[in-house]
Amino acid sequence: MNVTLPSSIPTSSRALLPRLTRRGFLQSGGALIVSLATPRLGAQAPQASSSRSISIASWLELRDDGAIIVRTGRTEIGTGMSGFYPQIIAEELCVRPDTIRLIMGDTDRTPDGGYSAGFLSGADNLRKVGAYTYQALLRLASKKLRAPVDSLTVEDGIVSSNEQKISYTDLVRNQRLDLTIPVSGGTASVDPKSWNGLSGLDGLVVLGNPPTRPMSKYKIVGTSNPMPGIPDKVTGRTQWTCDVTLPNMLHARMVRPATLGSTLLSVGTLDKTIFPNAQVIVKKNLVAVVSPNEWEAVSASQTLAANTRWTNWAGLPTSDKLTEALRSHKWATPPEGKGSTEETVAALSASARQVSATYEQPFIKHAPIGPFVAVADVHADGSVTVWSHSANSQGLRAQIANTLSISVEKVVVRWLDHAGQFGRTTFGGDGAEGDAVILSQITGKPVRVQWTLQDDLAWSASSPGWVEDIACGLDANNHITALKSSFYSPQSNDARIVGAILAGMPTLQPKPGYWVATEWAYDRIAHRREEVYGMPNLGDDSPNGVGMRGIIMRTPGQRQQNFALESLLNEAAAATGTDPIAFRIRHTSDQRLIDLIHATAKAAEWQPRPSPNPNPRGTEGNQLHGRGMCLMVRQNACWAGIAEIIVTPSTGVIQVTRFTIGADPGKIINPRQLERCMLSGVVMGISEALKEETTFDTGKITSTLWTSYKILTMAEMPEIKTVQISRDDKGYGGGSEAANAVCPPAIAAAFHDATGIHSRRIPLTPAYVTRLLQIRRTAS
Amino acid sequence: MADQLTTNVNGHDRAITSAPETPLLYVLRNELRLSGPRYGCGLAQCGACAVLVDGAEVRSCITPIAATAGKKVTTLEGLPLLWAQSKGATADGGTLHPVQQAWIDEQVPQCGYCQSGMMIAAAELLATNPSPSVAQIKDAYTNKPPSPHLCRCGTYAAIIRAVQRASMTMKS
Ligand code: FES
Ligand code: FES
Repeated sequence: MNVTLPSSIPTSSRALLPRLTRRGFLQSGGALIVSLATPRLGAQAPQASSSRSISIASWLELRDDGAIIVRTGRTEIGTGMSGFYPQIIAEELCVRPDTIRLIMGDTDRTPDGGYSAGFLSGADNLRKVGAYTYQALLRLASKKLRAPVDSLTVEDGIVSSNEQKISYTDLVRNQRLDLTIPVSGGTASVDPKSWNGLSGLDGLVVLGNPPTRPMSKYKIVGTSNPMPGIPDKVTGRTQWTCDVTLPNMLHARMVRPATLGSTLLSVGTLDKTIFPNAQVIVKKNLVAVVSPNEWEAVSASQTLAANTRWTNWAGLPTSDKLTEALRSHKWATPPEGKGSTEETVAALSASARQVSATYEQPFIKHAPIGPFVAVADVHADGSVTVWSHSANSQGLRAQIANTLSISVEKVVVRWLDHAGQFGRTTFGGDGAEGDAVILSQITGKPVRVQWTLQDDLAWSASSPGWVEDIACGLDANNHITALKSSFYSPQSNDARIVGAILAGMPTLQPKPGYWVATEWAYDRIAHRREEVYGMPNLGDDSPNGVGMRGIIMRTPGQRQQNFALESLLNEAAAATGTDPIAFRIRHTSDQRLIDLIHATAKAAEWQPRPSPNPNPRGTEGNQLHGRGMCLMVRQNACWAGIAEIIVTPSTGVIQVTRFTIGADPGKIINPRQLERCMLSGVVMGISEALKEETTFDTGKITSTLWTSYKILTMAEMPEIKTVQISRDDKGYGGGSEAANAVCPPAIAAAFHDATGIHSRRIPLTPAYVTRLLQIRRTAS
Repeated sequence: MADQLTTNVNGHDRAITSAPETPLLYVLRNELRLSGPRYGCGLAQCGACAVLVDGAEVRSCITPIAATAGKKVTTLEGLPLLWAQSKGATADGGTLHPVQQAWIDEQVPQCGYCQSGMMIAAAELLATNPSPSVAQIKDAYTNKPPSPHLCRCGTYAAIIRAVQRASMTMKS
């Protein structure tokens, strides 16, 4: 049997047409298995992206016992993907989401790869997989029931035509059916020509446009399907990456160099009578202690660290002089810009008045609650299995193959849950996996590497500090006519595996640079020019090759650039004596955004008036009250944030008392999960606005404890209100990530509202707030 | 060889073979194979490793196993038994501790890494204060020594709701 299914693919590309094939009848069991037809197999294949052939697992299996197994190379990063994907498949297949079992992230058991934060493309793939499968099932049912396809209806996996019914399970009973669907793309690989040193990170993309259910008819998408892993996490049944144990496994602790540039002078020794089973491993600047007993590895590594000697290195400007260092860098022409410089500069000089400012932020950290951990087993034949919590298993596989100089077929990455890491491993690097494979290769045994908190905060890549100059010109009616911005930052695409760098083994070659990350909300501003300037990592000439590596973090680029843009809009609104919401609405015609701003303002009981607050003093002593707002457009979603704060001048402490956040991400897939992402994103965003700063001296990061890298605690969390708008006519937008980015600009605006001082830097720590208040006192 | 050490873990007396100075965390995880308590900082700064010792929260990462000799240790896995015992029941019938049920009903975990410690702290709080106010919940998670319970995923609002829900169930 061979059936070709409807799809928008031209029939000239015959090899790409989805088709259903019966491989034969079986005595027992039976399944429909959805696998791939890749372009390179087709006659008209566009030049194959690579000649590698990897046996790829199926996307979906519908078994005759009722089980539906769905596989995706993407992973759960704590934002609810493992709940959304079954919803999307279930919607197309007309089954209940709880009948779907999801396998995520294992390179040998999932087909597609791709970014775990890239929900939109992941959802699109699975939606099409579901739709192709549904079409195939309808065709099978139509034959069985002798009824035309368009007379069939399906509910809960039962196909009906008039009086007759047949279940999906009966349709596949005792047969092996293969449904091949067309895809493009390939597997991730190391690519020196790529901006981050890797290509193929998007994974496979399902081609064609099979008929999908219209959003307005959705029954499952739009409901609050729970995240499947929660009961296991609550009862202790989850197997986390840190729980992997293998026979003969060694525990390792790393002994890192004295600075981010130091090289090894002499390795220390261990007293065998105290540490009988510990072994010291050295490969160039990679130093570790391994032992079958974890506590012995911990204690021995501390002893070894105390008597191991490293060269000195002082190649960093210190965090206090970061802005000066960025200022004094000789920036090349901007790698990327948007809009016309000439027109914008001309419009600026023709404007009635200008408002300009410079904003900045220090380095910050992803700072997972669980420091990174990995287990690796390098087998005798050179093949490797790695247990990891990377957010890009295929990117990690490519990096490990590259470091060990073996083919990707020899590397299997098995993905397991671990602590949220907010984009640090989006490109597959920057974890403990490199240490683990190198140590396993040397010892010939499986090795578990647990980074300490200090290892994680001092040796992982950071979200780099930045400076942005931004100015706008206003006409006589207080309307912005032109806006120009220049953003300066070290690169944030360095996903090299730190273990490989220290061991002197092959790594990626990311290219220094940056990108315009803002999505423009203000179509009524006639002229704009946005420029970004990227530079190499600070200390990129470090003798051990590490330096201050920069990597993206939650809502990357846009978080930073939107802070500057929205802060400037708030300054311009204040300079013109305009309510900040009214001021923004004048500059956009995006009705979706305007609706969201109004809904969010209503929830926050916003009373229109300009900033600063004419009446900032509350009832309690000399505390100052303020409120501020901001917005953001990102990935087909609109966001608005309104902060209400109290400043205590005597201590410099800011308490956010209430934060209202609004989101319109197109069709809301799961209101409950979106609310969770909004609430938790706000906590992270307030943490960034008030507390977070990575400090460093001339050689090393110094904020390596929770007492020095401070994040928000429960008592500092405000009341949080959420507003959601779902739309059936706008497709899906990004909902899980962006909430953190709407906090800093709104809080900085609220600080100005309360005090009349524009804060052009975050975090607004008590020390910084005290300094700002002092400067004003001396000035007045 | 030191004297053999016995600790009661989740209702069972366990003879411990690890060296007496080994922190409880490593004994629970590697010797007794309990994965509820997890390593976060090893310095009593985060709360990921929290367990109850004789009903009071301790950070297992800095507590030598010797200090728990003859005491009752409860990990996440032992919360159902703790609840059954508090109701006078002896058997563990598989009913979750109301804190765990509330954590499921309120969908608290994001990544979930910190949540074992968060539930331990809730169990201790509700045993000493059956009806905590929001301010008291915030205070318990923030100001009680040795450190705040930290959640990087930002689940604090959900935790507050879950503690209140568990409080209702435990009183009824
Ligand atoms: S691991 Fe014990 S408090 Fe952090
Ligand atoms: S749920 Fe991820 S750290 Fe708390």
